[in-house]
This record gives sequence, structure tokens and C-alpha cells, in this order.
Amino acid sequence: MRFMMLMIPHGYESAAPGTVPDDVERVGSMMAFNESLQKAGVLIGCEGLHPPSMGARVSFPGGKPKVVDGPFAEVKEVLGGYWLIDVTSRAEAIEWASRCPGGENEVIEIRQVQELEDFSPAVQDVASEFTSMQQTLKK
Amino acid sequence: MRFIVLVKASPDSEAGVMPSTELLTEMGRFNEELVKAGVLLAGEGLHPSSKGARVRCEGKKRTVIDGPFTETKELLAGFWLLQVKSKEEAIEWIKRSPFQEGEIEIRQVFEATDFGEAMTPELLAQEDRLRADSAAKAGR
Repeated sequence: MRFMMLMIPHGYESAAPGTVPDDVERVGSMMAFNESLQKAGVLIGCEGLHPPSMGARVSFPGGKPKVVDGPFAEVKEVLGGYWLIDVTSRAEAIEWASRCPGGENEVIEIRQVQELEDFSPAVQDVASEFTSMQQTLKK
Repeated sequence: MRFIVLVKASPDSEAGVMPSTELLTEMGRFNEELVKAGVLLAGEGLHPSSKGARVRCEGKKRTVIDGPFTETKELLAGFWLLQVKSKEEAIEWIKRSPFQEGEIEIRQVFEATDFGEAMTPELLAQEDRLRADSAAKAGR
């Protein structure tokens, strides 16, 4: 089963453009955690995201795209980064998230990734190409 | 530059309602365009938050909270990871997506070089190993 571990650092919603992790010790302990995921053979991917103040949001009022640049004043929670892992159960995913050297202000959300076989046969028919596309991407 | 395109959850996605065949077909076509243009690195959809959990970090203490997370308006339903030349190009792609409603957030992904001095040569080497191994695992 594949899971996403979504890192939600409170306060990051108002981080200034260009903010980067600059605490050597903290980056080091996070890298050690990443390496433990890798050594256990569960890590598929992990990324960190620049602050929302450098991002944008696209909504579709009346079916037409409308672009709003960050920061997003009304937002209380934003994504700071994520891990994509392959484990045998939800409990194992929670176990890994619990081992993350997270700070006081951080929450990790665990969400299962949809696989083709999770869908109804009709949806699988339409979506089957996506799996072959993903295979192409992985090559 | 890599950008992540975050697709926000809707009441339907949280209820586990699947998109119509029509929207899925259009989405398939859009994904194909992304692949043909060589910009799509990855894309996934997520099960509703009712099947998920949150782990809260407080010092050494870890508190596990089961989903759903009804108090937040910022739940994720899925994402694309794109390789493009600018934020504008990422936005252009999303304008062309078959979405008719909802909100999509575009965020730039950190590259190892963005970290400056915090990323020591040892950590950089570790990062390279990690990426090579993860790529091998993803392709397995």
C-alpha cells in the first residue's frame, strides 16, 4: 500500500518568500530520518515546498480559471513537504510518521494513495491509461 | 524548476464519490498532454481523509488522531509534480486542465541547492543516494 505523509508546519502559511530551512542540525536529523526510510526500502519519494507566499492558486468560478498569487491570507494550514512511502499497512505508515523528528508546531497527515484496483470496473476502464502513463514516467 | 500542483478536496472527494466518466476521460486526455510535453514527473490521487490519520508532534510525544479532518478546508485530494521553466508555465498548464470547479494550489519544490550552507556536502551526497535509490524503487 502506498501512503503520503503530508508535513503541515504551522506558521509556514505566513513564511516570507525565499524562506529556506537553515538549521543545519534540523536538516541533518530530517535527512537521517529520510535515510532510515530508504534503508527500510519504503521510500518512493520526498520533497520540500517553497512557502505559499511564492505560490499561486487557480480556481474556476463559472468554469473560467482565476489566478490568485500567494500568500493566502485566509489559510490556516499549508503543506510544507511530503513523503511517498510503500508499506504493508496504515499502522506502519503511522509508525513511520511517529518516528519523524518533527517540531512542536508540526503535524503529519497520513493518506492512502489510490490504486487502480480501488476503483469500480467502469472507472478502471477509463483510468487504465493513467497507470501505463505512470509506468512510462518511471522509466 | 519543479512545481507541485495540489488539488484540494471537495465534499464529493471526501465522501468517496468518483468523478464522472466524462471528467475522467478529459482528465486522461490532459494527463496525456502533460506526458507528451515531457512535463509530468508524477501524479497521484488520495483516498478520503476518513481513512487517514494525523500525527501531532510535541517534543518527544506523538499523538495520533484518526480522520476525517472536518475542521480544515485545506485537505488534499491529489497532486501532480511538473517539470517546467517557470511558475507562469505551471499556471498555464492548470488553466488548461479540465477542472470546472474547486481550487488548485501551485507550489515550487525545493532543490538541494536552495538550502545553502545548511546542506553540507555530506548531506548533499546523502540526498543524491536517496534520490537514486527512490527512483529505482519507484520504477520497480
